Amino acid sequence: MTVLISGASLFLGTILGFLLGMVRSRKNRLVNPLIGFFVDVMRGTPFIVQVFIVFFILPEFGVELEAFTAAVLAMTIMGSAFICEIVTAGILAVPKGQWEASSSSGLNILQQLRLVIMPQAMKTILPPLVGQYVLLIKDSSVVSAIGVVELTRVGWLTVVRIPEGLMVFSLVAALYFAISYPLIRISNSLERKLTVNRVSL
Amino acid sequence: MIRFQNVNKWFGSLHVLNDINLQVSAGEVVVVCGPSGSGKSTLLRCINRLERIQKGKLFVDGMPVHDSTINLTKLRAEIGFVFQQFHLYPHLNVLENVTLAPIHVRGMKKKEAEELAMEKLERVGLADKATAHPEQLSGGQQQRVAIARGLAMSPKILLFDEPTSALDPEMIGEVLSVMVKLAEEGMTMCVVTHEMGFARQVAHRVIFMDEGKIIETGKPDQFFDNPHSDRAALFISKILKH
Ligand SMILES: Nc1ncnc2c1ncn2[C@@H]1O[C@H](COP(=O)(O)OP(=O)(O)O)[C@@H](O)[C@H]1O
Ligand SMILES: [Mg+2]
Repeated sequence: MTVLISGASLFLGTILGFLLGMVRSRKNRLVNPLIGFFVDVMRGTPFIVQVFIVFFILPEFGVELEAFTAAVLAMTIMGSAFICEIVTAGILAVPKGQWEASSSSGLNILQQLRLVIMPQAMKTILPPLVGQYVLLIKDSSVVSAIGVVELTRVGWLTVVRIPEGLMVFSLVAALYFAISYPLIRISNSLERKLTVNRVSL
Repeated sequence: MIRFQNVNKWFGSLHVLNDINLQVSAGEVVVVCGPSGSGKSTLLRCINRLERIQKGKLFVDGMPVHDSTINLTKLRAEIGFVFQQFHLYPHLNVLENVTLAPIHVRGMKKKEAEELAMEKLERVGLADKATAHPEQLSGGQQQRVAIARGLAMSPKILLFDEPTSALDPEMIGEVLSVMVKLAEEGMTMCVVTHEMGFARQVAHRVIFMDEGKIIETGKPDQFFDNPHSDRAALFISKILKH
């Protein structure tokens, strides 16, 4: 079960993460803040809380998922956020001249990504991507350890029995996010400053 | 072939192209020079729309480049661009660098594109390096491959942005001689360069820019020997000292 969940969510998370990362690296003024916020929220809340939200809170809104689907969904979404970060960084590490040379020869943006940019970005992307896979596989044990099959049913009953349960999870998530979001912002801006310094040297 | 009509461009508050009017006819070789930061690269980059102009009109081979609805692929297929830093694709070998656009933009068969690429590599004297990777080549050789890459799209116009500025002195000659050959064959060329010898040998016109404006235009010998403006005279005395 764990293997299946890991496999499916790594696969889907990689596809979604690469798509998001490629879109994000284009720095579109409308879409970028949205993706950025999504990534920050996912990085800023503990995985266990995200799992509980998918398992307990989505049903409150009428989204009743099978245990397996719910686990894969939770892990795919989280994985895609981290992979999006890695892919964006990899694409931005490709020199701007590569974009300019390839667009000057008339390649469209999909051809540029496929033929010129991604083959070079993969060098930067691969090491952290593999590291991320390891982390995700470890996280999948969270889902299976608490017993995916029982979890939805039992948890669902718990939440129904204690209506505050829903509140509690939301509060826990919000609290974690309130603490980690500023930290993420700080680390992002530090990263940016360091990159700028390196460029100007 | 290229027509700038009252073209203006700003980077934030910096007026980088200030009311540019310029015509380049088919087969003409125009050298653009001027101090660093005067807008030469930007002028060139507007022609294939690596940069957008904000005011005025710009036509390339009849296509209105200022119009956001034009077919960019078609525009760029007609213009070869050679960069100061070459920007070869490091993950591809020399032949693949040259065939990439013919295959994916022109839709050529691989074999056909390779024959074409070998012909272009022959022209820049590097047919024997077809299977080498860019990092195995000297700067001068890389720049010649970049020229072959531009030629492979059979462009009507070639743009060069300081093609020899990143090269060791002993490699400048090999790149310039390829460019001279192209000029003599009647290619339409705009070349940002301070290579006076090249300008005198093949340029039909020299354009001097400063602070986003075209200050002066003239025949090469007239411009270098008897510039009209003080700014151009000062600039020429500086490049002579080099
Ligand atoms: N993408 C950009 N954003 C902001 N300023 C720019 C950009 N590109 C060039 N500039 C500025 O515009 C001016 C003209 O640049 P450029 O056309 O590269 O000059 P040149 O090629 O003559 O040295 C310079 O002051 C440069 O700093
Ligand atoms: Mg320049």
